[in-house]
Amino acid sequence: MVDLSVKKEKLFLKNPIMTASGTFGYADEFEDFIDVSRLGAVVTKAISLKPRPGNSWNRVIEVTSGMINSIGLENVGIEKFISDKLPVLRKKNIDFVVNLAGSGMDEYVELARICDANKIHAVELNVSCPNVKSGCLEFGTDARTLGELVKSVREVYNGCLIVKLTPNVTRIEDIALAAQENGADAVSAINTLKGLGMKLSFKNGKFYREQVIGGFSGMAVKPVALGVVNRLKSVLDIPVIGLGGIASMQDVLEFFAVGADAVQIGTANFTTPDISVRIIDELSAFMEENGFRTLEELKAVLRHFSPR
Amino acid sequence: MTIEKLKKMNKGKVTHIERVANEMFLIKIKTAPDFSSKPGQFISILCDGHTMRRPFSIMNFAKGNCSTAPDYGVISLLFKKKGDGTAYISALKVGDTVDFIGAMGNGFSLNNEKILLVGAGVGVAPVYYLKKYLNDAPRLIAGFQNADEIPACLKDEIDFISTDDGSGGGQGKGSIIDFLEEEIREYQPDRICVCGPHIVLKLTSEIAKAHDIPCEVAMEKTMACSIGVCRGCVITLNKNGKLENASVCKDGPVFLGEEVVW
Repeated sequence: MVDLSVKKEKLFLKNPIMTASGTFGYADEFEDFIDVSRLGAVVTKAISLKPRPGNSWNRVIEVTSGMINSIGLENVGIEKFISDKLPVLRKKNIDFVVNLAGSGMDEYVELARICDANKIHAVELNVSCPNVKSGCLEFGTDARTLGELVKSVREVYNGCLIVKLTPNVTRIEDIALAAQENGADAVSAINTLKGLGMKLSFKNGKFYREQVIGGFSGMAVKPVALGVVNRLKSVLDIPVIGLGGIASMQDVLEFFAVGADAVQIGTANFTTPDISVRIIDELSAFMEENGFRTLEELKAVLRHFSPR
Repeated sequence: MTIEKLKKMNKGKVTHIERVANEMFLIKIKTAPDFSSKPGQFISILCDGHTMRRPFSIMNFAKGNCSTAPDYGVISLLFKKKGDGTAYISALKVGDTVDFIGAMGNGFSLNNEKILLVGAGVGVAPVYYLKKYLNDAPRLIAGFQNADEIPACLKDEIDFISTDDGSGGGQGKGSIIDFLEEEIREYQPDRICVCGPHIVLKLTSEIAKAHDIPCEVAMEKTMACSIGVCRGCVITLNKNGKLENASVCKDGPVFLGEEVVW
């Protein structure tokens, strides 16, 4: 048996394959497809202090090698999450990270405090959702504001604190460093890119337009994500969790090559609901066949090819 | 993890594919022996090179244990070639493998009431399945734009057909909605089940309500995941004055018409 575990700073995972927020619900929905407890960790759908109904317009559209979503953080709210979803995750031995989305500094702090009180081991701050009007993204685009937020959350939360970064900024290194300096235990990158998906059709002398403005994800964004992780690794000491367009073991290896400590599978969960455990099996078989006993050994070899 | 738990990832083989009307296709897919479904449920097909699977209501699936029946274990789908996803599926050949998930979602109520089934266009598929499932007991009426849009494979199975331009011949000219009042008066259904474009669902639901007849509508919306996690296909329901979200893929696709906020 190969050792797939990740142990770096405060990031402990039984294997490096996580599933990304917003693509995996609260995990129980995937039980018809995979044994969810095998995942390194499931990152929950973003949770806010109060339930959110989400956006009312068309929410998803397919584009070349990806999709655009504008869900608007629809979720059950932290109270219902703690009462209904948390016990299920715990009973089923699912390792999880709770993704938190506040609409202001106080809300993030309150969410983190509730998570700490409920002994939730890891949270991921969603400071990068492009689809809601207030809060969220504005924290992820300004280094000073983000620094203050991470500092305030750190004061009330003792578990593993992950900050999810948006690529929709000029210099992501500055934002990431602000997170690190103020006590983040890891960063995850990237959240979706801002985009617009359109389908035009012409029928009976008239144009018809289907359009969604929102977050662009899927295979097409992988080069952007790899580029960002590569840049982050050159400035950060804390672990980096890479995500963006991962749909195969090959993709995972590429993220390891630029220094990712773990990865998240996102949009590919929609295309192939069992892709996450398939990748775990493939990775494990690949390491076994090729004499890598631990994930660290594999990563060390891959980093020789790091393009820095 | 038991096989029972994981049965929703499926692979099947195309046993038949045929153009049955203008841009409308019938495809039959032989499934694994443990596949089961109910009328109103759907499967979501992986289309090569596409991020989002394409969902299709099931048009028929042989039930029971009679493995000698000709279509035993075969899913029939009726679909219209509209975009790249359906273009991919329409180009499949007999013997090709189809990667699909399902059966997904909640179907129609299954009981011995007197049911009037209403289909419009390709939406005739799931209500046809309900008719077959209930041993042809319900009455099935359907509307199409014109004669070229009527699927040849179903023509003789529909009790009443209307065409917008009357080209269907003999039966009705106009929207199927134009004939609904008359059908209700004559057939006296205990329940109406409908599938078709948004406007047909809305109007059928309103007419049913005016007659105090429960109406089940099979809805359609662009889906990213088909399993309830992405919240991409959400509609609003009004449950006793309380508004709530429901996903078409997991909470539906069949809803009570009177609860849908149109």
